[in-house]
Amino acid sequence: MNPQIENLYREGAPSAGMIGEFIQNNRFPLVEPGHVTFIFQGQADEVNLRRWISGLSTAQSMQALEGTDLWALRMELPDKSRFEYKFEVVREGRRDLVLDKLNKVTAQDPFGANSVCQGFGYTRPAWTLHDPETRSGTLTGFQMYSKAFESQRDIQVYLPARFRRSRSYPLLVVHDGADYLHYADFKTVLDNLIHRLEIPAMIVAMTQSPDRLVEYTGDQRHAKFIGEELLQELNAKFPLIDRNRARGLMGASLGGVASLHTARQYPNRFGQLFLQSGSFAFSDLGKHQKGPIFDPVVRFVNEYRKNPFALAENIYMSCGIYESLIYENRSLLPVLQAQGMQVHFEEARDAHNWENWRDRLRNGLSWLFPGPLWMVYE
Amino acid sequence: MQILLGPQNPVPNLRQAVETINVDGPIVVISAGWRDSEGEIDELQEIVGQPLEDLMLYQRAEQVFTNEPVLHDLQRKRQDNLTELQRLYRIRLTPTIAAARKLMRTKAEPELLRLEQRAAITQLRALDSHHLRRIHGIHQNFNQRRAELEIPMAQVQRDEVRRLVEKAGLVLITGGHVAVLLNRIRLFGLDQLLAQKPVIAWSAGAMAMTERIVLFHHAAPQGKRDAELLDTGLGIVRRRVILPHASTRLDWRNRRRMALFSRRFSPAVCCTLDNGSMIHLDNDRVIASSGSSVVMRTGRKRALTTK
Repeated sequence: MNPQIENLYREGAPSAGMIGEFIQNNRFPLVEPGHVTFIFQGQADEVNLRRWISGLSTAQSMQALEGTDLWALRMELPDKSRFEYKFEVVREGRRDLVLDKLNKVTAQDPFGANSVCQGFGYTRPAWTLHDPETRSGTLTGFQMYSKAFESQRDIQVYLPARFRRSRSYPLLVVHDGADYLHYADFKTVLDNLIHRLEIPAMIVAMTQSPDRLVEYTGDQRHAKFIGEELLQELNAKFPLIDRNRARGLMGASLGGVASLHTARQYPNRFGQLFLQSGSFAFSDLGKHQKGPIFDPVVRFVNEYRKNPFALAENIYMSCGIYESLIYENRSLLPVLQAQGMQVHFEEARDAHNWENWRDRLRNGLSWLFPGPLWMVYE
Repeated sequence: MQILLGPQNPVPNLRQAVETINVDGPIVVISAGWRDSEGEIDELQEIVGQPLEDLMLYQRAEQVFTNEPVLHDLQRKRQDNLTELQRLYRIRLTPTIAAARKLMRTKAEPELLRLEQRAAITQLRALDSHHLRRIHGIHQNFNQRRAELEIPMAQVQRDEVRRLVEKAGLVLITGGHVAVLLNRIRLFGLDQLLAQKPVIAWSAGAMAMTERIVLFHHAAPQGKRDAELLDTGLGIVRRRVILPHASTRLDWRNRRRMALFSRRFSPAVCCTLDNGSMIHLDNDRVIASSGSSVVMRTGRKRALTTK
């Protein structure tokens, strides 16, 4: 049992006042080395913890604490882990998914918000937070017509602080750029890492697909749009270093697939690839079980696994060990490494979510685009 | 006469250094290592308590490049070649240094091992020397081609800067981006002139004064990285490798790593410069020092003394 709960019951069932104090004096969930205890307060017939950790069942029932309106669940959790969850509250046959009201830490994604469990020792990296000392870059944007898609596309562009047209900059193209900005504090991270000299001042072009389940799953039109049309447009509009090594492509989840697929269609056009929790579904034998959306992904990944070749100079892959995609990512790693590319793989005690991708940005970006920190001695 | 200082943050010791010199003439500043912030010397002026004039080498060069695209292209080509050469050097350096490190920690019959370790360090030094020769070749080529160009504006700027330095009683060289700093000092042909002047230089400025610029950061965002040679320096301070921010940038707990560091650059002496450090040199002899240490062959450090 968790020591705080043990203490609450030291003199038998606690009074309402003692429960109030318990709630007020603790931070939830209750975290201790190697374990975490979730607490739900309220009337219910049943309460389950719903969390998205691969390898564990998605729902785990919580236990009603005798003589109180509290429900608790203690589980093993390696230190520095992080994952997102909700409570499933059952009342009179009705099931509701609710945030943990006792936990103020939440994470947003395009589907809404989740509560966040931060295991013992986890702290949000300082470089993801606004630093008043940091000079801020600017966000601008333009629209372009894509012949490949036969439609208009919106592109957001990050220009570093003190941007000058007389200089040349490296370029990073980011899939789901608006989501990175909104859910992964991407602009703050870029500002901070550039300010700390950990990455060079760079131009970042952010795309956002209106139909990523189609366009990001091995679509030739998408590869043409990124590898030809967008690059031409960016080269015409901005002072970019004209070297493959100074060009990067990045994405998370299906955005990782879209990045890898584009790199396969245009080998070495992007010297640097940053693939976060890529949905690299494949099948060794028989039909895959991931659903029809993944058919083109599996076709593409199977083809690449059969005939692999070097796609870029450097690849930084990251994946959470609490997501099922860890299997696909670990499987792809030796295939990529065997092609003579420099591949760095980072596993995190985290799951398939934007904060995981945010927390990996420093390592990935500074590995692919090392900044002048090395040269600066103030 | 040169005084080398550590970083001036959080507690500057520049004023104490200036007070040890009998300054005969104006004080000029080279802050090109600060790049876009070059010339922001109000705080320095307050510390020194005397008027300072920044030579504005970075901005002067930018101006010349804007007006003289041929020179700009030549300069950019040189920088591209240096960057590419550094990448190629690193490809050879990584396995060479890994082998030396492995030999430093392996166990074997002492006599056999000693000779192998020595050979590995010799190989490392040979690679470093080769790299510096290649860099020298790139600079020579640049200088030859530049001499063939007749660029009056560049010449006017060079003459103006040289006049200011000739009149100066003291030159201050700040920290910052060491490659940019060195590049601008060379671009304005100040190498020889600075050797004849009293100079106080800190951090990157102190590195630029030496014969070889060693880049190092054992705690970079991507973890351990091996020290590498960037370039030859101005060569005014000889037989020393200068290590600013040594307490935070070097992995002192890893004795073998530090021992290899020291032996690789020997016979030059690796001297640390942290905030508050000072090394006062006259004809390459230390005449006073405080807060600076020497990295020994064992990987330990000892205080730098005048002996």
